[in-house]
Amino acid sequence: MSGPQSNRLASGGRIDRSRALRFTFDGRSYSGFSGDTLASALLANGVRLVGRSFKYHRPRGILSAGSEEPNALVELRNGARREPNTRATTAELFDGLVAESQNRWPSLALDVMSVNSLLAPVFVAGFYYKTFMWPAAFWEKLYEPMIRRAAGLGRAAAEPDSDSYEKVSAFCDVLVIGGGPAGLMAALAAARSGARVILTDESFALGGRLLSERAEIDGGDANAWIARVRDELDALANVRILTRTTLFAAYDSGTCAAIERVADHLAAPPPHMPRQRIWRIIAKQVIVTAGATERPIVFGNNDRPGVMLAGAVRSYINRFGVAPGRRAVVFANNDDGCATVRDLASAGIEIAALVDTRASSPQYISELAAHHGVRLVNGVVTDVEGRLGVRSVRIRPHAGAPFTLDCDLVAVSSGWNPNVQITTHLGGKPRWSDTLAAFVPGELPRGMSVAGAAAGDYALYTSLAGGARAGHTAAEATGFSSPPIDTPRADDEPTSIAAFWHVQGTRHKAFVDFQNDVATTDIALAEREGYRSIEHVKRYTTLGMATDQGRTGSVNAIAILAALTDKSIPETGVTAARPPFTPVALGAFAGHHRGRTFKPERRPASYDWTKANAGVLVETGLWLRPAYFPRAGERDWLESVSREVATVRSAVGICDVSTLGKINVQGPDALALLERLYANDLASLRVGRARYGVMLREDGFLMDDGTIARLDEQHYFVTTTTANAAKVYQHMQFALQWLWPELDVQIASATEQWAQFAIAGPRARELLREIIDAAHDISNAAFPYLAVGDVTCCGGIKTRLYRLSFSGELAYEIGVPARFGPALWQRLLLAGEPLGACAYGSEALGVMRIEKGHISGPELNGTTTAADVGLGAMRSRKKDYIGRVLGERPGLVDPARPALVGLRPVERAQRLRAGAHFIARTAEATAANDDGYMTSTAFSPSLGHWIGLGLLRHGPQRQGEIIRAVDPVRGEDVLVEVVAPVFIDARGERLRA
Amino acid sequence: MRIACPHCGDRGLDEFVFLGDARVTRPMADAAEPADAFHAYGYLRMNPAGPTDELWFHAAGCHAWLVVTRDTRTHVIASVRLARDVALELRAVASTTEDASA
Amino acid sequence: MPDPILQPASAVAAWTPVATAGLSIDVRDDLTIAGIAPFRGKAQAVSEALAERYGLALPAACRRISGDDITLQWSGPDQWIAIAGRGAARDLEVELKPLLAGPAAVVEHSDARAVGVFSGKHARDVLAKGLPIDLHERAFRVGDVAITHANHIGVTITQTGNEPAYEIMLYRSYADSFADWLRHATAELTA
Ligand SMILES: [Zn+2]
Repeated sequence: MSGPQSNRLASGGRIDRSRALRFTFDGRSYSGFSGDTLASALLANGVRLVGRSFKYHRPRGILSAGSEEPNALVELRNGARREPNTRATTAELFDGLVAESQNRWPSLALDVMSVNSLLAPVFVAGFYYKTFMWPAAFWEKLYEPMIRRAAGLGRAAAEPDSDSYEKVSAFCDVLVIGGGPAGLMAALAAARSGARVILTDESFALGGRLLSERAEIDGGDANAWIARVRDELDALANVRILTRTTLFAAYDSGTCAAIERVADHLAAPPPHMPRQRIWRIIAKQVIVTAGATERPIVFGNNDRPGVMLAGAVRSYINRFGVAPGRRAVVFANNDDGCATVRDLASAGIEIAALVDTRASSPQYISELAAHHGVRLVNGVVTDVEGRLGVRSVRIRPHAGAPFTLDCDLVAVSSGWNPNVQITTHLGGKPRWSDTLAAFVPGELPRGMSVAGAAAGDYALYTSLAGGARAGHTAAEATGFSSPPIDTPRADDEPTSIAAFWHVQGTRHKAFVDFQNDVATTDIALAEREGYRSIEHVKRYTTLGMATDQGRTGSVNAIAILAALTDKSIPETGVTAARPPFTPVALGAFAGHHRGRTFKPERRPASYDWTKANAGVLVETGLWLRPAYFPRAGERDWLESVSREVATVRSAVGICDVSTLGKINVQGPDALALLERLYANDLASLRVGRARYGVMLREDGFLMDDGTIARLDEQHYFVTTTTANAAKVYQHMQFALQWLWPELDVQIASATEQWAQFAIAGPRARELLREIIDAAHDISNAAFPYLAVGDVTCCGGIKTRLYRLSFSGELAYEIGVPARFGPALWQRLLLAGEPLGACAYGSEALGVMRIEKGHISGPELNGTTTAADVGLGAMRSRKKDYIGRVLGERPGLVDPARPALVGLRPVERAQRLRAGAHFIARTAEATAANDDGYMTSTAFSPSLGHWIGLGLLRHGPQRQGEIIRAVDPVRGEDVLVEVVAPVFIDARGERLRA
Repeated sequence: MRIACPHCGDRGLDEFVFLGDARVTRPMADAAEPADAFHAYGYLRMNPAGPTDELWFHAAGCHAWLVVTRDTRTHVIASVRLARDVALELRAVASTTEDASA
Repeated sequence: MPDPILQPASAVAAWTPVATAGLSIDVRDDLTIAGIAPFRGKAQAVSEALAERYGLALPAACRRISGDDITLQWSGPDQWIAIAGRGAARDLEVELKPLLAGPAAVVEHSDARAVGVFSGKHARDVLAKGLPIDLHERAFRVGDVAITHANHIGVTITQTGNEPAYEIMLYRSYADSFADWLRHATAELTA
C-alpha cells in the first residue's frame, strides 16, 4: 500500500510541494516536502508503524501532531548527532534526514522482545518494587541487563556532542507564550501600546491550531490573517518573535526559560551557528496562550498504529496535505467529531462511522453525518483489531448489538486539556471545570494571565477576543496604555462535550499512558493495593513520568482512579507538572560551559612563559598556576620537583604567587576590624612590618591564614590563600557591613593589581639586588625578616617588597603592577641564571612547606582548630574576635583531639600516602582504633626520604612513638615515627639570614 | 527569583550569595553566659514557614550585604534593605533600650 | 644585561581579533585607574575636592561622568573609581593621593582591569548572551553603570555612546577566558 508519497493528498496543506526532501527511516528511502514533519512525511509515504513501546514492545504509530507525542519516538541523525527519543511529530523534515525506530530487535515489524507482552503479568504496576527484589546477586547479573535490554528508549550517541549551544538573556514588558489565535491577538494588543513584547511559539510557523483547521477570520482564510498579523509584528521594533522556541519553565519573579531550536531543522548546524539556545526571559507580565492538548478515549488496543487524535487527523489533512488513512472511524465524546468528519470527507477519505459516546448527539452532528452520508452510532468503540495496525474496530452501540467495521484509522477525541503546565510551575493548582470536562488554570502567579484554549476558551472568536483583552490588560499593567484593539470577525464553532473516559468491558489491554505502557489494569491494581492518592499512583505505576509528562494520558488516569475510588475528579486532584514542559538537551543547559570553557580560568603573570616553556599547570580554584617546570632529561615530575626544591635550598628559586588573595584595609578603624577578624594580636604590628595571621569561623574552626602587612598608620594590606580569596573578602565585608557597621573602614581587593613573585633561597638577596633600584637598601639590617615596604625596581617601577618565607629560606615576595608581571618574571629568571636560579612551581612550594611544617589546604580543611595545627598559642586572650567564644567549647579544646605532627617512615625507603589512617602499633586496624590521619606527604629531597604531616590524637605528646599509617584503599600499612612537624632548620635561622 | 538590590536594581538570583537568618544578632563579647549566647547565635534557627529576614550578599554586583524579607512559602520578597542600615538601626534600638533600663 | 626597561603586557590582546562586522572592539591598554573610597561622612568633602580640581563631582550610584581629563565612575557603595588616559606618565593614584588623603582611601587599580569598548549594531545582542541585565535603550542609557557578570566573570559595564557603545571592565586574569566566550558569542556574526 505504500508508494512514493502514496498518502499525500492531491492538493492543500501548508507545505512547499516544489521542494522535495529525501530522508530515510530504518534504512529505507522516502521523500517528503518542505514544511513536513518527520511524522507527516512518514504518513504521506504510508508508514504508520514507527516504534515499539517501552515495556511491552507493542507496535506503535503516530498519535498526535505535536510535542505531546508519546508513541512516535525515534532516533534522529547518526554518529555524534544521534539523538534518541525524538518526537517524529515535531522533528522538521530536512533533506538527508536519517531516522531509526527504537526498541525493536531485530526489526520493527518482527520484534522478538514483544514477548514482553506475554510476560505482561511481570511488568505490572510496581514491578520495579516487586519482581526484582531477591536474591540481591541477581540484580547485576540478570535483572538489570534484562531490564536494560527490554526497556529503555533508544541509544544515546557515544561520541561527544559535536554541536554548540548558547544562552541568552532577554527582558520584556509582556511575554506571550504561544502564537495561536489568542497569542497573536495578545501580542498585537500589547505591541501596539508600545510595550516591549516577546512572542514564543513551538512551531516554525505562527498560527497554532489555525494552521490545522479550516477557519475563516475577517471573512477570509485564517492563513491570510496570520500573515497580516505577522507582518505588523515584524515591523515593530518593540517586538521579538521567537519561533521554533518552546517556553519550558516559569520561575519566580517573572523569569521564564525557553529553548530555541536554532538549527534542528537543518542536517547539521553551519559551523558558526549554535544548534540550540536557551533564552532566559525576564518579563513583567506573562500571558499564557499555550493552547490545549487533545485526549484520547481509553479502549481496547487503543495504542495500535492507526489510532490517532482527531485534531491530529485534521492537522495531517489540513496542514500537511496527508491522508492519515483510507477508511476512518471517528470516535468522540464531543463536537470535535464534527470538524473531523467534515475535513475527512473533504479530503476524500472514506468514513466508516462516527461513533459518539453521548446518548444522543446534538442535531448539528446528525445533520452533518447525514450530509456526508456517514453512519452515526451513539455508542463506543470497544476494541481495535489488527496486529501491527488498525484493521477493524468493534463497536458497541448504546442500543443494539455490537458489530465490527473495517477501517485503518480511528480518529479519537475525549476532549481537550488546556495547557496549564506553565501556570502551575510555581506551585499553583489547576481547577476542574465540569462544563469543559478539563482542568483549567487555577490561581495564577503574580503577573501572569491566560487566554484562548489555555484558559478553556476553545472557540475561535472567544479565543481571539480573550487574547486581545489579555494583551491590552498586561500592557496597561506595565504602564503602556492604549485603546483596546478590535477583535476580528470569526465564528464560534460548537464545543459541547459530555465527559467520557474509559470504555468498560474491552477484550484487549487498554492504555492510559502510552509512553510508559501503563494500562487501565495497572491503575486498578495499584488501587487494590492501597495506592489511592494520585501522586502515589503516579509513582507506583510510573504513569505520567515519561518524557511526555503524561500530557495525553494523565487526565484519563485521574478520571479512572476517581471512578475506582468513588471520588470526583477534583477530589482526586492532579499531579504537579514541573519544568521542563518538553525535554531539553543537557547541552543546552551547559551552553558555552563545556570542555576547557566549562568554567572561566584565571591566568597569572607567568602563564604565557609557563606554556611556552612546557611547564605544567595545575588548577587552584579558577586559577591555573605553574605546578612544576620539567627540564630535558628529567624522567618524571618527582625529579623535576626535587631539582626545584634543591635549587631553592642551595641557591635561589622564583615562584609565581600572584594568585594569593590581596586586600587593602584602610581607615580610622582598620585595626579594630582586623583585630576582630584575626585570632592573633595585631595591635603591636608596626608600620613597615608584616605578621602571619589566622582567621577563624564563628564556630571556632580555622577559616584561612595569610599575612597582614601594615603599610601605614591606617592602611593594612592582607593576603589570603588562593582558594579562599573570595570567601575571605565576603567575610570581611560581612563583618564590616553587618556585624560592626559603626567601624569606619574601606576594603578593596587588590589581587589583580599586583603580579607577585616569591624569591627564595640563600642567594635571594643577591638576585633581588639585580632588580631593585639601587636607591633602596635591602640589606638584612635595613630590611629584616617580616619587613614590608614600597620600593621601585627596573628603573622606577612601583614595587611592593615583603620579606616573607613559606619555604623556610631567606625569601622575599616582590609585587609589581600586573602589566609588568610577565616581563619581570623573565627578567628575574635571566638575572638569576648566573646565580643558578630556577623557576619553581606549586609542587616544590608544597614540598618545602611540608618540610617546614607550614599548614596549607589539607590542614585548613574546615575541621581543624588553631590548636589542632599547632597554632593555639597565637590565639589572643586580650580581645574579642570571630570564633573566640565557640572556639573555647570543650570539644574544641580537648587535648585528645588529633593535632599536627610530623611523620617519617621507619624504613626510609617506604613511601607515605596522604589519607592513610594512624593506628597504634599493636592495635587492630579498625575504625574504633583510628587515631587520626595523614594530611600531607612529600618526598623530601633535602632528607632523601618521604615525610608527612598528619593529625594524630594526643599528637604532640607522642613524639618518638612508632605507629602505623594504614591505607586500606591502596592496601598499604607503613610503620612511621612521630616527630616534630618541622624537618628543616628547626630554629628558623635561614629565613632570618 | 530576583532581588532588587537597593544600589543596583532588580537582579537575578545568580548574582547573590545566601548566608542565612538575619534575625539573630551576634552577642556582645561580655555577654553574661557567652557560651550559651554564642551557641544560640551560631546554631538556633526558627525556620519559619512565612516571612523571614535573610542575609544575602550581592557577590556579582556591588558587594553590599542585604537583608531580604522573603516569604519562604511563595518566594515573594516584601523588602530589600542594606544590611548596614538595618544593623545601625538595631544598634540604635539596643542602645535606647539600655538607656531606658539603666 | 638586556634593556633595563620592562615592557608592559596587554591584558586584552585576545579581544581585538574577535571584532567582526557589526561589532567593533576598542581595547584600552592605556588607562590609569584609581579607586576612591571616602571614609564615613567624607563623601561630600571628597566630591567637593574633586569638583574644585576637575570640575566633576562624584556621580550617583550606577552612574559615570566624564570631564576633559578625568572620568569618575561609581563602583559600589561609597566607592568610586577615577579613570584617565595614562599618556606619557600620568598616574591617578599619585595624582589623587595628595588631594584626597585623609577623607578617602585611594587605591591603585590601573593594572587590575581589562578594559574594552564594544560598539556597533550587534554589540547589544552579543553582550546579551553573557550579561544577565537589560541593556535595552529604555533600561540602560549613556552614562549608566552596572556591576554584574558575564559567563561567570565579574564585569562592570558602562554605556559610553548611543551607537550603542559599551565599555566592559573585568579583572585582568579573566581576560583570555572572556575572549573565549566572546568568540563563542560572536560566532553567529562571522557567517
Ligand atoms: Zn547591588
